[in-house]
Amino acid sequence: MIDVAFDRVSKRYRIRRPVQPLPGGAAPHGRLQDFWAVRDVSFDVGHGETLGLIGHNGAGKSTILKLLSQITTPTAGEIRLAGRVAALIEVGSGFHPELTGRENVYLSGSILGMKRREVDDKLERIVDFAGVHEFIDTPVKWYSSGMYVRLGFSVAAHLEADILLVDEVLAVGDAAFQLQCIERLNELRRNGTTMIFISHDLTSIEKLCDRVALMERGRLIACGSAHDVVEQYQRMAATAHVAAMADAGASVQAGVARVEAITFHDEQGAEIISTSTGAPLTARIHFSALATVRDAVVEAFYYSRDGRTLHFQQSTAVAGGELTLSPGTGMIEFTMPGLGLQPGVYSVGATIRERTGSDTIDWFYGRTALYVELGKSVRGNFYTPHEWRLVTEHAQAGDRRSNA
Amino acid sequence: MIRPADSAWPNIAGHLRRLSEYGDLLRTLSIHRINVRYRQTLLGVAWAVLQPLLMMTVFAVVFSTLARIPSEGAPYALFAYTALLPWTFFSTSVTNATGSLVNHTQLITKVYFPREILPLTYVIAGLFDFAIGLVALTVLMTWFQVPMTAAVIHLVPVVALLAGWILAVSLLMSAAQVRWRDVGVAMPVVIQVLLFVSPVIYSLSVVPERWQSLYLLNPMAGIIDAFRDVLLRGQQPDSTPLGYATLVTACALPIAYLVFKRAEATMADIV
Repeated sequence: MIDVAFDRVSKRYRIRRPVQPLPGGAAPHGRLQDFWAVRDVSFDVGHGETLGLIGHNGAGKSTILKLLSQITTPTAGEIRLAGRVAALIEVGSGFHPELTGRENVYLSGSILGMKRREVDDKLERIVDFAGVHEFIDTPVKWYSSGMYVRLGFSVAAHLEADILLVDEVLAVGDAAFQLQCIERLNELRRNGTTMIFISHDLTSIEKLCDRVALMERGRLIACGSAHDVVEQYQRMAATAHVAAMADAGASVQAGVARVEAITFHDEQGAEIISTSTGAPLTARIHFSALATVRDAVVEAFYYSRDGRTLHFQQSTAVAGGELTLSPGTGMIEFTMPGLGLQPGVYSVGATIRERTGSDTIDWFYGRTALYVELGKSVRGNFYTPHEWRLVTEHAQAGDRRSNA
Repeated sequence: MIRPADSAWPNIAGHLRRLSEYGDLLRTLSIHRINVRYRQTLLGVAWAVLQPLLMMTVFAVVFSTLARIPSEGAPYALFAYTALLPWTFFSTSVTNATGSLVNHTQLITKVYFPREILPLTYVIAGLFDFAIGLVALTVLMTWFQVPMTAAVIHLVPVVALLAGWILAVSLLMSAAQVRWRDVGVAMPVVIQVLLFVSPVIYSLSVVPERWQSLYLLNPMAGIIDAFRDVLLRGQQPDSTPLGYATLVTACALPIAYLVFKRAEATMADIV
């Protein structure tokens, strides 16, 4: 059974290009330009299936969700929906500051399409999920921004719908709350809700979705198994990155070895996806090599979740001896006595390259998410493992006093 | 089924069916408007009575004591109040409703619901204030010793007509405001002008005969006159002015609704 059918759907926006201001300060009217946010896109989503939508910013993912939720209408084409559609988005922005948490739950619940009785039934769970129990009868203007967002989101997370649209929910709240959200999505999925899911977090996309559609500049360029499409996207991103490097004079000797996965482990070696600031952490870079790679360098990169900031890097080049990868599979283990990252979500990537020259053999684009919860609480950008001792100088102080 | 906007728009019944599915939201949001309006004010809901009462006092001093405008034998204060009551309903609702869409950009770009709910809630909140003002009216009438007659029953359809006209203007203005913010800027002036071309300060009877039919194209004229007929003169409303008002509203409301729904399709894109 098909729950969602997109049939050759296009959406055009008319953008007014600003032109030079007229002399005398009159507001000029720019020329209208067509911009196709979605162009000729067709896909189906079966009942109970989870479809992921990935692509760069501006590829048209959010427009597709807007079309599905009827916030805007298509310029051409047809969309068929079987069942009640709801959008899981953060609606804290629809809260009224003067109203209490409870009143706002009712308000935003009804905005999202819940019946009053439905909210009655779920109020307890919504409040628990957001963790704002003791403040539920306080006006939300006194809430911290975290509480505000959590409550808004948790209303949405308890929507009952046949088709659920999920837009970048994993950008809400702290790491602990995000894990809770993933858990909730899994629960909905097990209950047979059809889902369409947008995220930049490729790890969760791969974990949560049955199929993934890849968008580029308004067009659907691939749709298939989650693993394959995510990989295609990464290779695309990597190719773009590599092309940029090639422009800078580097070349790529792809295919000889590749990064297969990045996993995180605690002190006992158990695999984990979340940890806390200051906790010991081991990162394993799993690789496979087709031929011997001499004088190889394996590196891991810890980026902010949007991939814009590189927080730190681990490299086999800065310590230890020479590394030779022989044909077969293996892994490089980077151990940290205490993780320096502050609470948040990070995306982690890895590369294999040769030390001589700047040839990159494989580039594993920030695909793995690392959730860091509150651990050792320090201020500043980073926690640095440190020790301290007390040194007293009683004798000297006494001497000085007697001289005075 | 979602299709391009222009394929199925003149379908009022379909739009209304859709709206009825969102009855819960309409109710919750309307109660919310009423609830929130007077939060963190000292006088609270008393403002609903104070607004027309203060206007009445000012009008009575300026237009009766100073300008000596005739009030057909009724006390001028009461004469003014009977018009100010529907007028305040009109001006407050239309002013609030005009901004209703652009002030809820966050909702419009994030969630779907029939957009007419937003202006509609402001009209309903205005109706609530109107009801409170009506209670104050009975007190005033007792004070001025003007008897309330059985003719008051005729107010029910008149109020429905008034609400319909307010809704038509609200739908059009709120949709226009999304595209042209000029509407919101011009609104206070337009309301001011409309006040002078409606029989609020003066009586409908002072409008020259040859201007009457043009004058009556403004439904507020017929409606206010009906209020005075029922409350001050204790008779059933004069059918000519009210007929004009009914005709104009009956044409305006469906057109306004359809125009609004047509604009709704691209609202989220341009708001």
